[in-house]
This record gives sequence, structure tokens and C-alpha cells, in this order.
Amino acid sequence: MIAVKGLRKSFGPLTVLDGISFAVAAGEVVVVLGPSGSGKSTMLRCINFLEPYDEGEIRIEGELVGYREAGNGKRTPRPEGEIARFREQVGMVFQSFNLFPHRSAVENVMMGPVHVRGISRKAARETAAGLLAKVGLAEKMDEYPARLSGGQQQRVAIARALAMQPKVMLFDEVTSSLDPELVGEVLLVMRRLAQEGMTMIVVTHEIAFARDVADRIIFMDKGTIVEEGDPREVLLNPRSERLRGFVRRFTGALPES
Amino acid sequence: MFHVLIISLPYLLKGAVVTVWLSLATISLGTLLGFALGTAGAVGPRPLRAAMTAYVFVLRGVPILVVMFLGYYVFPALGYRVDAYVAVGAAMVVYVGAFVSEIVRGAILAVPSGQIAAARSLGMRRGPMLREIVFPQAFRMAIPPLLNTALTTIKQTSYVSVVGAWELSYAAREVVERTLAAFEIFLGVMVLYFIICYPLSVAARHLERRYAFAS
Amino acid sequence: MDLAPQLVNFVARYVPYLAQGFALTLALAAASVPLSLAWSLAILLPRLSKRHWLAAVAAAYIEVMRNTPLLIQMYLIYFGLPLFNIFLSGFACGVLAITLQHGAFLAEVLRGGVESVSARQWEAARAIGMRNRQAFRLVVLPQAVVKVVPPICNQLIVLVKDTSLVSAIGVMEVTLSAKVIIERTGASYEVFVAVALFYLVMTTALGAGLRVAERRLALRFG
Repeated sequence: MIAVKGLRKSFGPLTVLDGISFAVAAGEVVVVLGPSGSGKSTMLRCINFLEPYDEGEIRIEGELVGYREAGNGKRTPRPEGEIARFREQVGMVFQSFNLFPHRSAVENVMMGPVHVRGISRKAARETAAGLLAKVGLAEKMDEYPARLSGGQQQRVAIARALAMQPKVMLFDEVTSSLDPELVGEVLLVMRRLAQEGMTMIVVTHEIAFARDVADRIIFMDKGTIVEEGDPREVLLNPRSERLRGFVRRFTGALPES
Repeated sequence: MFHVLIISLPYLLKGAVVTVWLSLATISLGTLLGFALGTAGAVGPRPLRAAMTAYVFVLRGVPILVVMFLGYYVFPALGYRVDAYVAVGAAMVVYVGAFVSEIVRGAILAVPSGQIAAARSLGMRRGPMLREIVFPQAFRMAIPPLLNTALTTIKQTSYVSVVGAWELSYAAREVVERTLAAFEIFLGVMVLYFIICYPLSVAARHLERRYAFAS
Repeated sequence: MDLAPQLVNFVARYVPYLAQGFALTLALAAASVPLSLAWSLAILLPRLSKRHWLAAVAAAYIEVMRNTPLLIQMYLIYFGLPLFNIFLSGFACGVLAITLQHGAFLAEVLRGGVESVSARQWEAARAIGMRNRQAFRLVVLPQAVVKVVPPICNQLIVLVKDTSLVSAIGVMEVTLSAKVIIERTGASYEVFVAVALFYLVMTTALGAGLRVAERRLALRFG
């Protein structure tokens, strides 16, 4: 469903993505691991075109993301309206939750359906209430983000993204800024989502989650994909020294070689 | 088209000079007063601080024009014959002093308390601590809002014309009432004020940005 | 000098004469505040526009307002418009001048607020498919407004005090009324004490009212 080929991006002199290629099938859960600065977040943000990219292709269901190709191989950026509409199909959850502080939880979830899709407030509220119940926050519906814990805010953020009924969900280190005891509740929601068959690309440090939930693991370093494959294999028998060190640091256990 | 403006320019420029002098005098005296009162308001004894709060509260709640009128009429009522400039100038100094004192007080109180704790634990006494640690930082923080206050004061010198003292705005109105060339004269006067004020505006913004980085 | 009864006496003597002036000052304030707020929003949008020329024009306008006195702008409108056959009342000229100048200041304050709203809020809005205009209207602007409520309130109090300047073009608000009373009846400076008290009450009430609004907004946002 998602096909990335030869993705390249630089910020000025710094090359952040150096030829990334991979594919994600519908219903797959792909977890991306890697040290900071490896470009994982940038890659994710290119997929929903929060960042433009310099070379290569990202295609979702065959459509090129962010650009229109002219016949002679050149590309022009798509107009804002098209990009906005495209983003309705790609849900994103951020590390810093980014809830709208001036709206209650249910109103946050309703924002997309009401203002982007034009759904009536009544219908949107019902759906939103249902989604919040699904992430376990039914009783916090009318609370404002300031009164919610980090884990609760992140779950609201997930519900908000789900409200747009996206085809794929992108998770950008969504548990990295949470207190340890709040991480579990968010991962639980993500697990259930995966079980329901949502296509997910998850950038994370949670190795246990990767091992248990991912259909495939991608390990990135310095802007390239270093290893890719079945979670158990990649984690237990990492071929690269870099990945071995990474896994060791995050699990404290030495994988068998 | 700007014929009248060109002819009146010498007269208007004389008014501009008065404006500049008046501005310099009130800004410098007002700032000195403000520094003294602001420091007293921040670190002085409690009755002094209370008096300061009242002083600032009153002057911030009243338009400067009213304060100027008060100054203009108070002196003769108390038996003193003073120059119109002295009367309105005194009123402006008192007014500016209030605003500057608030800025200074705020800046002094904004120096992080951790620094004062550190200084105290080194055995520093009040005098040197204020002098070496608090004031330099407070001063740096205070400069952008002080420049803005100066800018406002320059514009407020135009109000003395309403009370009856002669400066650029008064001259402008005289010329217009005589020649009826309102558009070009007032436009020209706006340019003159702009020339006087703009450098200060730019300096204030530049320093605001510099301070934002430093903190 | 026994201040309290004397003060009450003076105030009581002049209040009837000044009552009309009070009313006109309140009317000037009541007209100028909402108009200035509306105008500030109208200037904010071009100022933030991605089209450079539009932003530059707005910025130039704000700069001119910032560096020239309100009095001259008022004179320009009051004495200048009749030359183009437009005859506005002194009241209207005063309100117009105040709106033009304070709208510019308020726009700058709002701009500071908008720029301080985290870029992440923009991203979150765009991530659910909002266009820039929607994101601005529904997500960024509300948060910006909340952030800048204190400086906006301060600016509004300055605005209300600036209504005194409209006395310069002959509008009989309270400051001019007081001046006329002194000139006609030989009364003393105490008239202006009464005027000062009036402004003090007005700005204090306005300040208190705005602070209540501030606190209510702050509660909502933790």
C-alpha cells in the first residue's frame, strides 16, 4: 500500500535521508528503530508530507505523495488543497501529543470530522465519544488537555487521528515523553489497533513492543536502512554491530549471536 | 502641491527643535526619577513600597493630558507663576517617572532568585549584591521597555500643544489655521515626527531581539 | 486643610457640569474599543500573509502609526478630510484616529501571540487534513489571543485614556468640559482632580473587568 523508493532529503548541507526504500502492505505493522539523528522522524514526516523531500518517491496506493509528475520526469508540488485532502487518509500521532489546549478532549477528536469533513456536530460528537471510549477515556470526554495526564493526552491524540478514518497511522515516538508508568496504557491502545488490522508505521524505542507487535522491523542509521526483517530475527540475531549495540542499550540484554 | 509645506518648513523645524529639547528633558529627568523610585519600590521599606504602588496606580489610571492640565493649573493656584513649559514639563516628568519606576521595579524583581540565593550563600552583603549582581542584569532587561517608554514620551510631547505650550504640533496647527493646507502640513509634520522617532524605534526592537537571545 | 469634605464638596459641585463630558468619554471608549479590536484583526491577516508585498505594506502602516503621535493623525483626519469634501463629526474623527492607531498596536501584540504558538500546533492541525486558513482560524488564533490577553488589556486601558485627546478637536468629552469650566467660571484646578478621579474609576473598573476575563481564560487552559 505504501511504497518508498530512493527517498533523499537534506537540510542544507546535512543529508538526513540518504536513499531509503521500503514497502508496507495493507494491514502490516512496521516498526522503525534507530538512534537519534538516524532520520526516522524525518522519514515519517515525509510520508504525510509535513516535510517535503528532495529525491525519490513516496507512493500511497499508487499516488505520488506531495508532488505531481509532469510527463518529462519533472515534478511540481501539489496545491495546498490536494495535500490537505491527502492528509485525511494518513493519521499521525506526535511525540508531544499536540492536543489543542483550548478544546476539550471530545472537541479535539471532533475537530477533524466537523471542520475538515463537514460532518454535523451531533454525529461527530457521538463518533468521538465512541472513539474515546475505545481508548479507555470515556469519562474524561469533556476534560481539557491541561487536566489530563501525558498518557491520557496521547490516547486522546490517537483517537483524534482515528476520527478521520485514515488508511494508515503514523506514530512518531509517541511514548518517548511519557513517564514510564504511563507508557503501558498507550502501547495497549496501539496493540489493539494493530490487532484490528490497521496499517501502522511506528517509530519507537520500545523494543518489547516491536518484538511482540511488529510484522516487520526496520533499523535505520545515519539516513539509511541498515537492517530489515522479521522482528524476532532482527532483534535476536542482528547482523550489524550498530543494531546489536542499540538493542543492548535499550533492553540491557545481550542478544544471542 | 507641497508649496505651502516648503514655505512653512523653517517655522515647523523650529517647533521640531522645541519638541526634541522637551523630549530630552522630560525623558532624562523622568528616567532618573523612575530609577530612584523604582529601586525604592523594589528593595525599600514597606511603607515606601506601598506609597510607590499608590503613585504608580494613580498615574497609570489617568491620561497624561489630564496630568498636564493639572500641572498647568496647579502652580498659579498655589501662588507660583511658572513658565508653561515648566508646568507641563513637571507633569510629564512625574508621569514618565511612574512608568519608568514600574519598569525598573519589575526588572529588579525579575532577576532570578536563584542568583540571589547563590550570592547570599557566598556571604555577600546586600549592598555589593545589589550593585554587582542585581542591578547590571536588571538594567539590561529594562532597556527595551525603557526605550519604548522614551518613544511614547516623544509622541506625548505633542499633547502639550493642547494645554497651550508651543512646540511642533502647536506650530503645525497654527500654520494650518492660517493656510488651510491641512493635508500637506500635517502629513509633513508626521514625517518630521517619524524622523525623530524612527531611530529610537529601531534601536528598541534591535535590543529586544538581542536580549531575547541572551536570556 | 481638611481634605475629605473639601474633596467631596468640589467633586459634587462640578459633577453635574462634567456629567455630559463623562457620558461622551464613555461613548468614545465604547465605540473605539471594539472597532480597534476589529481593525487589529484586519491588519493582522495581511501582516502575516505569505505574500511579501502585502506583509510589507501592513508592516509599513504599523511602523507609521508607531512613530507618529495620535494628535497629528487626529488633526490630519479632522482638518484634512473636509478638503476632500468628507465631513465627519469630531466624535467620528476621534474614534477613527484612535482606531487606526491602536488597531496597529493591537495587531502587533496579536502577531507576537501568533508567532509564539508552537509550530507543533500547526502540524497537528495540518496532520488531520486542515488547510492553513482553517488551522489559523480554529487552532492558532484562539491560542494566540489567550496568550496575549494581559498586554491587550493594558493596551485597551491606554486606548481609553487616549480618548482625552479628542478634546483637541473640540469634542466636549470630560477633559475639554473641564477646561471650558475653568475658563468660563474661573474655577480652580480641583475640577481636574474630579476629572482625574473619573478616569481613575473608569480605568480601574475596566482593569478589574479585564482581569476577571483573564482569570476565566487562564482556568480553562491550566
